[in-house]
Amino acid sequence: MDRNLKIKIFCLDNMIWLILGVFILICSIFVPYFFNYKNIMNILYHSSFLGILVLAESLALMSGHFDLSIESTLAFAPGIGILIATKWFPEIHPIFSIIATLLVGAGIGLFNGVCIAKIKINPFLQTLSMLIILRGLVLFLIPFSISNLPEIFVFLGGSKLVMNIPTAIFVMFIIFFLFRFIFKRTRYGRIFIATGGNREASFIAGVDTERIIVSAFILSGTLAAMSGLLVAGRQNAVTNAMGTNWVLLTFAGAVLGGVSLSGGKGTIMGILGGTLFLGVVDNVLTLVGLSVFLVYATKGFLIFIAIVIDQYKTKFRREILQREILQREKLKDISIK
Amino acid sequence: MNDLRREFEAGKNDFLKNNTILRLENITKIYPGTVALYRVNLAIKKGEIHGIIGKNGAGKSTLVNIISGIIAPTEGNIYVKKRKYKSLSTNMAKKEGISIVTQTPQVIPDYSIVENLFYPNFMASRNGLINWNKINYEAKKLKDTLNFNISLESRMSDLPISQQQIVLMIKAFFLEDSQIVILDEVSTSFSKKDQIYLFKIIRKHKSEGKSIIYISHRADEILEICDQVTIFRDGEKVSTKNVLSLDKESISSLIVGNEKNKKKYLNKFTNSKNKKNFKQKILTVNNLRLNGYFKNISFELYKGEIIGVAGLMGSGRTEILKTICGVYQPHSGELKIGNKKIHIKNPSHALNKGIIYLPENRDKEGLISILSVRKNLNLSLLARNKKAKLINLKKEERLTEQLIKKMDIVVASPEQETNDLSGGNKQKVVLGRILASKPIIYLLDEPTKGLDIGAKKSILRIVKEDLSKLGGILITSPEIEDLMLICDRILVLFNGKIINTFIPEEYNEKDIYFSMQGSKH
Repeated sequence: MDRNLKIKIFCLDNMIWLILGVFILICSIFVPYFFNYKNIMNILYHSSFLGILVLAESLALMSGHFDLSIESTLAFAPGIGILIATKWFPEIHPIFSIIATLLVGAGIGLFNGVCIAKIKINPFLQTLSMLIILRGLVLFLIPFSISNLPEIFVFLGGSKLVMNIPTAIFVMFIIFFLFRFIFKRTRYGRIFIATGGNREASFIAGVDTERIIVSAFILSGTLAAMSGLLVAGRQNAVTNAMGTNWVLLTFAGAVLGGVSLSGGKGTIMGILGGTLFLGVVDNVLTLVGLSVFLVYATKGFLIFIAIVIDQYKTKFRREILQREILQREKLKDISIK
Repeated sequence: MNDLRREFEAGKNDFLKNNTILRLENITKIYPGTVALYRVNLAIKKGEIHGIIGKNGAGKSTLVNIISGIIAPTEGNIYVKKRKYKSLSTNMAKKEGISIVTQTPQVIPDYSIVENLFYPNFMASRNGLINWNKINYEAKKLKDTLNFNISLESRMSDLPISQQQIVLMIKAFFLEDSQIVILDEVSTSFSKKDQIYLFKIIRKHKSEGKSIIYISHRADEILEICDQVTIFRDGEKVSTKNVLSLDKESISSLIVGNEKNKKKYLNKFTNSKNKKNFKQKILTVNNLRLNGYFKNISFELYKGEIIGVAGLMGSGRTEILKTICGVYQPHSGELKIGNKKIHIKNPSHALNKGIIYLPENRDKEGLISILSVRKNLNLSLLARNKKAKLINLKKEERLTEQLIKKMDIVVASPEQETNDLSGGNKQKVVLGRILASKPIIYLLDEPTKGLDIGAKKSILRIVKEDLSKLGGILITSPEIEDLMLICDRILVLFNGKIINTFIPEEYNEKDIYFSMQGSKH
């Protein structure tokens, strides 16, 4: 394959980053107060909460399913964690509240995964019921909010490190790079994506597909709990409304990042790009003083654009590769003659 | 103009004389690279059951698709009653009274039987209202006259496939007023009881002066129900004969044809074959049974051996392979790998023990079509190496390139989605994936299905020269020649039982085909 073709393919596969770059460039020139250190940190900080949730949703999508319950898990898991540390077992070390939060998230994922992969409940209905159940429980357990959280509990979401960079940004990047590594370099990541692409074929090829799907939901739940931990840290409180209506935005981020709703498609860097793009758009539209409701509508419009672009991108990619194949076959014929 | 008129008159006379209801004249269908049908002439008379028989790829389905209007012929004319057509559309075929019932029934699963019977018109009045009383009454009447013993209210999806097909046939025979009904290998999944009922309603339909085109693999069925039989071979009509002049053996030899030409092709491949001694037993199958599909299956597979499994559609060949690799759980019987008894839980477990299955349906079960060639090629290898947590990308790239070269896969880049490859290249990717995982027992289910001659030959060569060095192979194919080319032994399946075994000295396409029809020597 010649270099030209390689570059073309590379650009197509990383289109969201190109779009993001161009968009940032335009905004830096035309939008005042956009391109400065404080604002960029602000965008990254706000993207970190949603970003981890987008990753949670993307994992479920890439495994060929989806998870509506993550936005309730986002409130429920830290809720239980903090109740353990402050009310139920006040004498326990506060670090356990963090561990409990993540375990609760994993537990919810495990339950979803087992019901979907083994009992074969439709993922929409399964996670929809969890979405409602968990939100109801949160509203019951935490009538309004719990504030004055232990210091260690708010460290990840509320503190700042070197150069005034919020810890949450590091957390987001660490998680994304960890998953990038998993999907690029590990056996698990590879058979995960294959299962999402075609469950039947992967099963026959010798993959333990049930286990993969359960693990996808466990990861999704754990990441949602992690996101909840950061959100609680940011506001120094666990409220019962945390994460409401976020799940639809996670679909937006995932689709912008090139994840397919039918599974098996998507890259971690793409997902990160999609999330950051959502964050930048949100920030810019607020800076220019657009009504919040129009900002919301714009995000919806972005999903639509993303899908249309994706269609054309796939077609174009296919065409240039097909042309290459034809050329090769011709060359082969000539060499035979 | 005059020519046309004369032709029309001639056609008319012809119809009047012979009572012909459908006539095909010089029908040819050319696909890029292959001729599916060549100059076929065929006449179907009123009140006749006309059987069509031939091997896979003989042109039966193409013919059926042309008559029912699904595809257009490249050349030739179709006469229905008095009208001449260059090609039919499905709508026109329907209007002319031609209906078709296929092997996979086209039903609406959540409708009741009554609703399926009267779909899509529901005998509605002009304003679109449905009179359910009338429909139920008609359905009841039909049920009583036909002795049809299934509750009319039950949902279509609750019925087994065979009964769904019977419902569709009743609809085509008695409700749609079809003059010609094409039955395209409908009886593959039928039990004896279903078949008796089917033949009963076919005869009733015939007694009303209507015609049936009956396509089948099975000579015994054709001999029992048909009046005339047309035999196809390699896209050409061999002959049309009265059924009374035929028996199973003469039909088999007409289907298979002259063997002389094929022997040459065979020798090219097999001259390297020296008498082999197989010593190391790697798989023992003992009395394996899967209810409804097969029973009493016993055989042994040795290292380096290639066993062919020949059988008609529905004989259980796919199910046997799928059971050995753990997709289905057998109801009784045992498997031994080497000398160790083993219970295979699922394909993942099978792969661990060195058994891998190449599925018949490569797009649905063989490939992850949205993933790249590289990821597909390495999937089984990764699934097998549970201990290796990390992928060595350099090594993987090297292996991928080796496989692409060895299997001669034409791709633009290893990163290309397998979706966009041609059929032959897709199959090579699946085969490459299997080869890369280095199992010892290969279960290959129709690896040459739907491939052109070039791709077919190279796949067979890979099986013969590469796979057989690594272990034992069980292979099925719709084409007996393919099996004769590479197999050390051919087992013949009929109705889920092994009824015959052939060794290379006895290889003879006619005999094997005859045996597949259910006759022991």
